[in-house]
Amino acid sequence: MNVFFTSPWIPVEWIRAHGLMPRGIWAAENFQPGASPSSAGVCTFAEAAVRFAEANADSAVIFSTACDQMRRGFDTAMLHGQQRVFLFNLPATWQTATAKAMFRAELERLGQFLLTIGGRAPSLEKLRQEMRQSSATRKRLFESAATSSPRGFAEAVARFHWDGTFSSPPPAAPANQIPLALVGGPLLASHWKLLDEIEAAGGRVALNATKTGERSLCPAFQNHSAPFDDLVTSYFENIVDVFQRPNTRLYSWLKPRLASRQVRGIVLWHFTGCDLWRAEAQTLRETFGLPVLLLEAGGEPGNAPRELTRLQAFIEMLKAEG
Amino acid sequence: MNFSLASAPRKLNLSAWDERYEQLCHSGLRESGYGGPLRRHVEREKNFRLEHLQFDNSPAALRLWNFLLTENERLHQARACGEKIVGTMKDLGTVPVMAYALPGVRAFYPDGAWWTPCLMECSDKLLQQAEAMGIDASFCPVRAMLPAFENGEHFPKPDLLVCSTGAVCDDFSAIAQRLEHSGHPIFWWEMPRRRAPAAGETFCALPGNLFAPKIQVDGVRTELQRVGEALGELAGKKLDDALLTDGIRIANEVRRLLADLRQAVYSAPAAPLPALEMLVAEMLAIHFCSDREETIAVLDDLLTEAQARVRQSQFVIGPDTVRIFWVNPVADLRAMNLLEELGGRICGSDYMFTHALDLIPENLPPLEALACTALADPMVGPTADRAARIVRECQTHRVEAVVISRIPGASHCAREGEIIREVVRQQLDIPAIELEIPPVCDALLPALGSRLQALIETARNKAKG
Repeated sequence: MNVFFTSPWIPVEWIRAHGLMPRGIWAAENFQPGASPSSAGVCTFAEAAVRFAEANADSAVIFSTACDQMRRGFDTAMLHGQQRVFLFNLPATWQTATAKAMFRAELERLGQFLLTIGGRAPSLEKLRQEMRQSSATRKRLFESAATSSPRGFAEAVARFHWDGTFSSPPPAAPANQIPLALVGGPLLASHWKLLDEIEAAGGRVALNATKTGERSLCPAFQNHSAPFDDLVTSYFENIVDVFQRPNTRLYSWLKPRLASRQVRGIVLWHFTGCDLWRAEAQTLRETFGLPVLLLEAGGEPGNAPRELTRLQAFIEMLKAEG
Repeated sequence: MNFSLASAPRKLNLSAWDERYEQLCHSGLRESGYGGPLRRHVEREKNFRLEHLQFDNSPAALRLWNFLLTENERLHQARACGEKIVGTMKDLGTVPVMAYALPGVRAFYPDGAWWTPCLMECSDKLLQQAEAMGIDASFCPVRAMLPAFENGEHFPKPDLLVCSTGAVCDDFSAIAQRLEHSGHPIFWWEMPRRRAPAAGETFCALPGNLFAPKIQVDGVRTELQRVGEALGELAGKKLDDALLTDGIRIANEVRRLLADLRQAVYSAPAAPLPALEMLVAEMLAIHFCSDREETIAVLDDLLTEAQARVRQSQFVIGPDTVRIFWVNPVADLRAMNLLEELGGRICGSDYMFTHALDLIPENLPPLEALACTALADPMVGPTADRAARIVRECQTHRVEAVVISRIPGASHCAREGEIIREVVRQQLDIPAIELEIPPVCDALLPALGSRLQALIETARNKAKG
């Protein structure tokens, strides 16, 4: 059975070790955030997750508590009678043993849920094997991040989130383009066109720090003798996301990468109604001293002409600055 | 002399209150230190909105308003006297119980600044300043607290800033994070999203007919223990069980008074007190308006007034009104007046802090009791739980219609209204509407009025069968 997860911080190795197939919901072909939300202010990504769960009742969907919109999207799915949905409580704090214990308890609870939908109790060896495999794939993806074509890298990461496999992304074509960071929420396949549009305008995404990009590859496993403990620790200690409080890990993660890739501007990618990302625009500017362009994931696949014009103007401005 | 019944209950505008105040003074009205004419809050603090509100004419209401509108003054005085000031954010009702258990500590909610643009009719420019700080109009008006921290013209800068995080509104969490980046360190504590216990899982009963897995209660208790240690360190005194137990006992005194007041007002044949005063009274529960003992006195006065009016069948709103349940606090206080002008009457409310109205269990270890209370927050659990409580209260008070007021930009409002309306429709078959109320709603009054009127007419027609 397919188990669609809405956050990269839900350990896929745990799902796979239960004999089920974890799949990043954003990589599903029929995941359509373009649909009109049911109410003003609803995040189109969260809305799409609710509709996806309704349309794919033979699969399971794991929501996370990382944001209010997904949390309440889960409430809507429950109200509509969805059975195979699970809400994973991702702690926002990360400095305490309590938060880690909460994360661990949620992982155990997820295991119970997976058993009820047809999963098998995992052996330690199976878990260890899954962790080794995903660790190796993550490492290869990480290593290719800085030198790959932005679109090729996005596709390779999406492949990893879809079936756990590695597909070598093509190298970036050498060109004198403005290096940019794409930071923010999930970048779906229907949005990859944005990467081409950035290149056409004279820019290049040197750092894909969206929820579905390089940032999502953080967990690295080290202690194979106690795989479950390692799974808990490696995920919990390596979540890099905007919802964490404080969200200093996100900034610590970005800082060396922005510097090493000589990023000259940040495109802040967010879905409608995503307060968590939009509120970071000013902080990103102040922290890194870089210009920031807010770009909203449109309702329709691809980008609206107005957004495209803004993007082009942003890159023009950076070019003019030399 | 019994001031309250010297004139029949009615609502007065500010000018009429000027005269009423003079009459009361001539009759020998005795007030608390923060007393005085309401007009001074317009002249001194630029609370221009008061000129567009209708107030209850009782001295108890006068005391309530004066108490509310002098909070910042009170906090500054406390600071000058060497007391420690704790800014507690988002949990709405739990951390203040702990803070007030310590001597020389006062807690307040900077979140309360969300009403400043309304009270000052935006003359304070806080919302524009928030926009300049990166938080624009697409966020909840609570963004007003951001510049309020910077300019220091409202509340004093807290000695300790505590904020719950996790299952909280995104907009608030984002604004609080922005605040921390602006140089105001925050003590974050985790509030997990409350879930129903699984089959066979050990669970705890929470206030408000709710349940949570014991593992969640334990987690929150541990987090509150951290908060308690920080508060104790600030106060220079350990926040032990004895102090907490006493703090809970006094908080429950406030909650009992409010329960009695709500019962007296919402179950009466007509309204002995207006909706606006009831909203303000309920707000006192969350942090005692920075003076716990005075809160008890203020509520005691209001309860005495309400009970006396009911006994004498004297009401401020007539009996031929439609009984309304109101969900979420209003960004513009004027909306509560508007409902009554159109023939509605509040007979039930969920202003996002019902957990601050429920009694804190006194038969549990104090931190566990507070953890249970914090987890009963309607905003941290499933919206269906919140809707279930609304349905229960609607049934208790024979409510005829539900109004869900959306807070502009608030992340929870995007979905919760739809869920609550659906549950209300399914279980009660009474009309429910959702409307958005901005901090100053004057421009929208005709539209808001039309929608409320339609709701009231629908409820009336339904009652006629």
